Amino acid sequence: MAETPDRDDLPQATVVPRSRARISVVWIIPVLAAVVGLGIFVQRILSEGPTITIVFKAAEGIEAGKTAVKYKDVSIGQVTAVRLSPDYTKVEVTAKIAKSAKGLIVEDAKFWVVEPRVTLSGVSGLGTLLSGNYIGFEVGKSNKAERYFTGLETPPPITSGQLGRQFLLRAHNLGSLGIGSPVYYRQLQAGQVIGYSLAPDGKTVDMQVFINAPYDQYVHEGTRFWNASGVDVSLGAGGVDVRLESLVALIAGGLAFETPPFESGTERAPAAMVFTLHKDRASAMKQPDVISARYVMYFTESLRGLSVGAPVTLLGLPAGEVTAVGLDIDPATLNIRGRVEVVSYPERIIARLGARDAATGQTLERSAQQRHELFQRMVEKLGLRGQLQSGNLLTGQLYIAFEYFPDAPKAKIDWNRDVPVLPVVPSTIPNLEAKLSGILAKLDELPYGAIGADVTKVLALVNTVVQDAGKAVNRVDADLMPELRTTLDEVRRLMVTADGVLKNDLSKTLDGATTTLADIKKVVEELRGPIATADLVLKNTDATLLGQHAPIQQDLRDTLQEVARAARSLRVLMDYLDRHPDALIRGKTAVKP
Amino acid sequence: MMATPLTAARAGLVACETCDLLSRPVDAAEPGYCPRCSGALEWRRPHSLQYTWALVIAAAICYVPANVLPVLNTTALGSTDSDTIMGGVMLLYTTGSWPLALIVLVASVMVPLGKLIALTYLLLAVQRGWAGGNREKTRLFRMVEFIGRWSMLDVFVDTFTVALVQLQPLMSVEPGPGVLFFAAVVVLTMMAANSFDSRLIWDAGTGRVERHG
Repeated sequence: MAETPDRDDLPQATVVPRSRARISVVWIIPVLAAVVGLGIFVQRILSEGPTITIVFKAAEGIEAGKTAVKYKDVSIGQVTAVRLSPDYTKVEVTAKIAKSAKGLIVEDAKFWVVEPRVTLSGVSGLGTLLSGNYIGFEVGKSNKAERYFTGLETPPPITSGQLGRQFLLRAHNLGSLGIGSPVYYRQLQAGQVIGYSLAPDGKTVDMQVFINAPYDQYVHEGTRFWNASGVDVSLGAGGVDVRLESLVALIAGGLAFETPPFESGTERAPAAMVFTLHKDRASAMKQPDVISARYVMYFTESLRGLSVGAPVTLLGLPAGEVTAVGLDIDPATLNIRGRVEVVSYPERIIARLGARDAATGQTLERSAQQRHELFQRMVEKLGLRGQLQSGNLLTGQLYIAFEYFPDAPKAKIDWNRDVPVLPVVPSTIPNLEAKLSGILAKLDELPYGAIGADVTKVLALVNTVVQDAGKAVNRVDADLMPELRTTLDEVRRLMVTADGVLKNDLSKTLDGATTTLADIKKVVEELRGPIATADLVLKNTDATLLGQHAPIQQDLRDTLQEVARAARSLRVLMDYLDRHPDALIRGKTAVKP
Repeated sequence: MMATPLTAARAGLVACETCDLLSRPVDAAEPGYCPRCSGALEWRRPHSLQYTWALVIAAAICYVPANVLPVLNTTALGSTDSDTIMGGVMLLYTTGSWPLALIVLVASVMVPLGKLIALTYLLLAVQRGWAGGNREKTRLFRMVEFIGRWSMLDVFVDTFTVALVQLQPLMSVEPGPGVLFFAAVVVLTMMAANSFDSRLIWDAGTGRVERHG
C-alpha cells in the first residue's frame, strides 16, 4: 500500500444512476417506538382510577402493592401505600381503585379488613389464609363521590341487597348474644343479630335483628322471640329440663322465634316492629291464663326449697303455681307460720277433662260458683288437702300437691274471704328423713374396726398360702425337670434301637412265617379227612363231654393241670440233671453259694 | 500531528464490501457496482449516520417504558406482584443479595444506557468532526458491538422464568409489557451498532464525512 497501484490496470466500474432520498425510511423505527410508547402511557393514564384513603385502627396484614380491595370477591383496586396518620393513632391506607369501579366509591361506601375469622358461629375469610388479608368493600346508596373513608373494624353483618326485614327486640339483658348471633326459626337459621344498644333509660337492651328473606314472612305481630342461648337447664321441682336450639347456639348464643298457635291469625309484622325477648321458649310460648283463682295456705313446717313459680298439682297434674312464699302470724295463737300464696288456673284442669265431660267443663269454665261448689265438695267429702312434697330429693325442691286424704281432720273453705284459705296436711318428708337417718345410725354402729382387722388377718393367711404354693411349684420345677429330661432321652434312644432291630428281624420272621403257613396249609388239606371223621365222633361225644355240667370236663381240666404240674417238675429235674449230671449217682448236693 | 495515512478513499479508489476488490469508482458521487461480484460499491455505508441515529433514538425511546413498565407479573397465592427492572434490583438489594443486585443493575440498566450514550457520542464525534482519540473511539465501538449480545440475558431469564414457573393455581409468572420494550432496546442498539460505519471515525476531520451523513 506504500505505492499507488497503476490505475490504468484497474478495471473501470460500471454505472447505474439512481436517486437517493435525503431522508431514510429507517426513521419509521423511532417514530413507531415513540407512538407505541406514548400509546401505552396514554392508556395507563386513561385507565387510572381514583385514589382513595381509608383510615383503619390497625393495618393488620395490609401491604402496599399487594393487598387488594375486593367487592363481591372481585378485585377492584390495590393498596398503594400504608402509613401512619399524622397523629400516629391510626393507619392511613391509600388504594388505587380501577377506573371501572369509579362509580362505586361513594360517600357511604364501607371498607373493612377481611381476615380469617374463626368465631364460634363459623369460619369466614378462609381464602385469605392463602391470599393474605384484603380490604372488603360494600357499595353505598349515595351518589356523591368521596375519596376519604373510615374503615370498619368488623365486616358489616348484612350485605346490601340482602332481602329481609329488620326488627327490634327488647330484652332485660344481652345474655351471651352478640353481633352475628344466629336467629333460628324451627331450628333453621333465619337471620342474625346485627346490632344492640342499651335503651336510653338503661333498663333494657335493644337488639336489632335481621330476618332473611323467605323467613321474614313468618314474623307476625303475635310472634314470640326468645333467647335460645346455650343450654337452657332449668332445675325445677319437675326435674332437670334441658333444651337447646343448636350446637352453635349452645356455644355462640342465639335467638329463636315462633308464632304460637293461638297467635297464628295475626298480621305479618311490619319492619322495625318492637318485640319482647323472652327468656326461654316455655315463657315465650305460654298462653295467658284467662281464669285464675288465688288461694293461700298456711304451713307449720319448713318451706325451704319452695320457690316462687313452683308448681301446684292436682292429683299429680299441673294446676297452678306458687306466687308468694312468706311468713305470717296466726292471729289466734300468735305463732309464726309459713304463708304460701298460690294461683290456680282452672282451665288447665278443665282442659284435661275427657270429651264426655266437655259440657260439664264448659259449665265449670263459665261459672265460678260451680267451681267453688265442686272444690268445696272435694275438700269436705274426699279430704282434698294441700301437702308439701319433695320434687327432687337431691336438690330439695318442693312443690305443693293436692291429693285426697280421707283421714284428714274436717275442714271448710271460707269463700267469703278475699283470698280463700285452703286446708293442708303435714308433709311426709320429715318421716322419710327420720327413716333415712335411722338407717344411717345403724350403719354407723357396725364394728368397722373389728371387721377390718379380721379381713387383714385373712388376707395375711392367704398371702402365706400363696407364697407356699409358689415355693412348692419352684421345687417341683427344680427336682423333677432334669430327671424327666434324662428319662425322655433314654426312651428316645430305646425307640431308635427298637426300630433297627424290628426292621431286620421282622423281615426274616415274615419269610419264615410264609413258608410255615404254606406247610400248615398242606397239613390242613391232609387233615381234612380225619377231621371230618373226628367231627362225627365229637358230635357223638358232645353230649357226654361238652354238656353244661359234664363231670368229665371238670375231671379233664384237673387231670390236665396235674399233667402240667408233672411236666414242670420233669423240666426242673431235666434242667438240674443237665447242669449236674453227677446227681444221678451222688444225689442232690447243696447249692454252693 | 501525524501525517494522514493513505486510505482507499483518499486514493480515489473504492473497496467492495462483499469481495474486497479494490476498483476505480465511476465517479465520486456514484461509485457504481463491483465488476467482480456486482455488489453495490459505496465509499462508506450509505446513510450510516442517519440509520444509526434513527435506531439510537428509537432505542432511547424504548428505554423509558422498558424501565417503567413491569417485566414480570408474579401471581403467587392469589396476589399479583408486578416487578420492574429497578424494582427487582431494589428487592435483591434489600433482601441482602447485593452482588446479584449489582449484576442485574449493570447488565440490565447500565449496559443499555451505556450503549446508548456511547453510540450517541460516536455519532456526534463523527458528525462534528471531533478529531483525536480515534483509537479510543474505535475501542469503545468494539466494546459496544461485543457487549450487545449479552444484554439479552435479561430477556432470556425472563422467558425461562415464565416458562418454568407455571404452578397454577398456586403460582404463575407472566411476562410484563416492559420486557418487550427491553428486548426492543437491546435489538435496536445492536442494529444501531451494526449500521454504524466504523471507518467514519477515522474520516473525522478529513473532510470526507458530510457527503455520507
